[in-house]
Amino acid sequence: MREGAKKRELVIGHLYPDLLNLYGDRGNIACLMKRCQWRGIQAKTVEFESEDRVDFGSLDIVLLGGGSDREQMLVCEKLKKIRQDFKDYVEDGGVVLAVCGGYQLLGKYYQTREGTIEGLHLVDLYTEQGERRLIDNIVLQSPLCKMPVVGFENHGGRTYINGNKPFGKVLYGSGNDGSSGYEGVIYKNVIGTYLHGPLLPKNPQICDHLLQKALERKYHSAELTPLDDKQEQEANAYMVKRLIK
Amino acid sequence: MKVRRILAVWTAKAACGICRHIGRQGVTWAGKLALMIYPPILQELAGEVREKIFIVCGTNGKTTTNNLLCSALEAEGEKVICNHTGSNMLNGVAAAFVLAADLWGNVDADYACIEVDEASTRHIFPQFHPDYMVLTNLFRDQLDRYGEIDITIDILKGVMNSAPQMEVIVNGDDALSAFLAMECKNPWIAYGIGEQVADTSDSKEMREGRFCRKCGARLSYRFYHYSQLGDYACPKCGFARPPIDYDAREVQLGDQLSFRVGKERIVANYRGFYNVYNILAAYAAAKNAGFALTHFNQMLKEFHPENGRMEQFRIRDTSIVLNLAKNPAGFNQNISAVMADESLKDLIIVINDNDQDGTDVSWLWDVDFDRFCGDRIHSITVSGIRCQDMRLRLKYTDIPSILEEDVESAIWGRVVDGCGNLYVLVNYTALFSTRNILKKLEGEKS
Repeated sequence: MREGAKKRELVIGHLYPDLLNLYGDRGNIACLMKRCQWRGIQAKTVEFESEDRVDFGSLDIVLLGGGSDREQMLVCEKLKKIRQDFKDYVEDGGVVLAVCGGYQLLGKYYQTREGTIEGLHLVDLYTEQGERRLIDNIVLQSPLCKMPVVGFENHGGRTYINGNKPFGKVLYGSGNDGSSGYEGVIYKNVIGTYLHGPLLPKNPQICDHLLQKALERKYHSAELTPLDDKQEQEANAYMVKRLIK
Repeated sequence: MKVRRILAVWTAKAACGICRHIGRQGVTWAGKLALMIYPPILQELAGEVREKIFIVCGTNGKTTTNNLLCSALEAEGEKVICNHTGSNMLNGVAAAFVLAADLWGNVDADYACIEVDEASTRHIFPQFHPDYMVLTNLFRDQLDRYGEIDITIDILKGVMNSAPQMEVIVNGDDALSAFLAMECKNPWIAYGIGEQVADTSDSKEMREGRFCRKCGARLSYRFYHYSQLGDYACPKCGFARPPIDYDAREVQLGDQLSFRVGKERIVANYRGFYNVYNILAAYAAAKNAGFALTHFNQMLKEFHPENGRMEQFRIRDTSIVLNLAKNPAGFNQNISAVMADESLKDLIIVINDNDQDGTDVSWLWDVDFDRFCGDRIHSITVSGIRCQDMRLRLKYTDIPSILEEDVESAIWGRVVDGCGNLYVLVNYTALFSTRNILKKLEGEKS
């Protein structure tokens, strides 16, 4: 119980689950929470609905999920109010996981056929609506972990990351724009990605990476007790084996 | 051209017969063959229906509602064509008519009751325009196939506008369905449950469409039934649950369910709150079409759908209930129904990710599996193609499970070492094969 000796706590902020809640985002939260709890690290999740004020100073990990285009349009108005605080949090090394619609919102804008959704301007990227939706299982090799990253992508947008570091190289699937061969973005301690499925349970090393970064920022040390990840590894390996011959 | 039509009918019947013989469901294949041999066959056979054609759409409850409606009309003495098995895309719908035709290629039917997959309405409506459409609900389901729920709504809007004479029987408790009906020019009537039945205030369920489709403000609810179904109103623009023509009251749930609609008391030997909606929808549709429905309760008593909807089996001393659970709203309702049985039980959850299931299994994380805890659960076994994902889903709710990819081994294992009370919950493509396994074991081992 080395970790129990010094009580550590992480606070996860889930932004706008009332609007951005497609594709099993609850799985990412459950994964972050459980992998803390199983190690004796306190964890709590605070949900911010669209009318709530977000106090970024109290948060260690921010999760921004996916929503339909229509709901994203609704959320984009609310985001203007928090843009500066969110930017300060990111620049200060705050940990963010942004998935699908949330990933698109990190950038400057999302150009759809119906109009332009203005983003948060947190990362230098932009998205344009493509002809058809890119829908399939997906496998990446990410610099953040040894295991391949598996998930599911379902997006109409094509995202261009302007020289930023991608989250991973596409081994199977379409990725950011269907042609660059890369998926997602890494910027400071922000991960933006189209992968849901959800992302974290089958990719526990990505989950632990986020926890590690959050602990480093808060406690300047990030020792994580190893967990028995046999079931996670088997579920991951099954998909890798099935998709990549 | 009549010769080709007859040839199409014969071929389809033969194909279906062969499939049944080798234990496969050949309905969609039969329909596909018939359409290949004679493309206008669906259009022509649908045109021979003497009275009206009903279709049933909506995410959950289509098959049960449609079969109930068919049985209700048959109980009134009508001859009805129906896609009982739930094959609800173009080929399956064509098969329902083709397989009902005689050897001269003609159908002899007063009515047709056809459930139609929402996305497939685009391919069905050019073939025939239904007289009535029952719209049960719109939940998130198979997002990889439909993209988003908004896309489904747009498709339905398109077909409703293409058939402006078609009357819509809509679930008024679902803001998404009700708004769709209000927005289109079709005549419509609504059914709903007008009083709070279960307290769901602490539920973490995903609720679709919590925002007004008209103005974007957050809807306020007087109460919820489950998911987003309930009594809602928009505080900003005035959009609200419409006046309800068929309003269920005095709802009682338990081993059997009952409710009152108008002066009629309806009683059925089923579990599951959602069956109130299924029965009410069928009742409203038939009543609205002018039927007296004097035999409705008798029909419910005799209604035993052999299609894996709460279907019962017995293998050795184990009683088994098989039920379909294919999306979060449906699964959460299943959990409520299973947990309403207070005796000890074993559970098998079978999850496939074939095309018809939706290849994206992330919906598993939107189901409230934490309700499967406690000492009334003897064991949980995960099975099917994506059993690994299901096991992981349960692990992150701190619920251990047994992994057995092969469904037959899973069932037989729990018959041998289980507590004698087994529930098997399966998603779409696992339904037919699991049902076959259960029937086979029931025959062999009894």
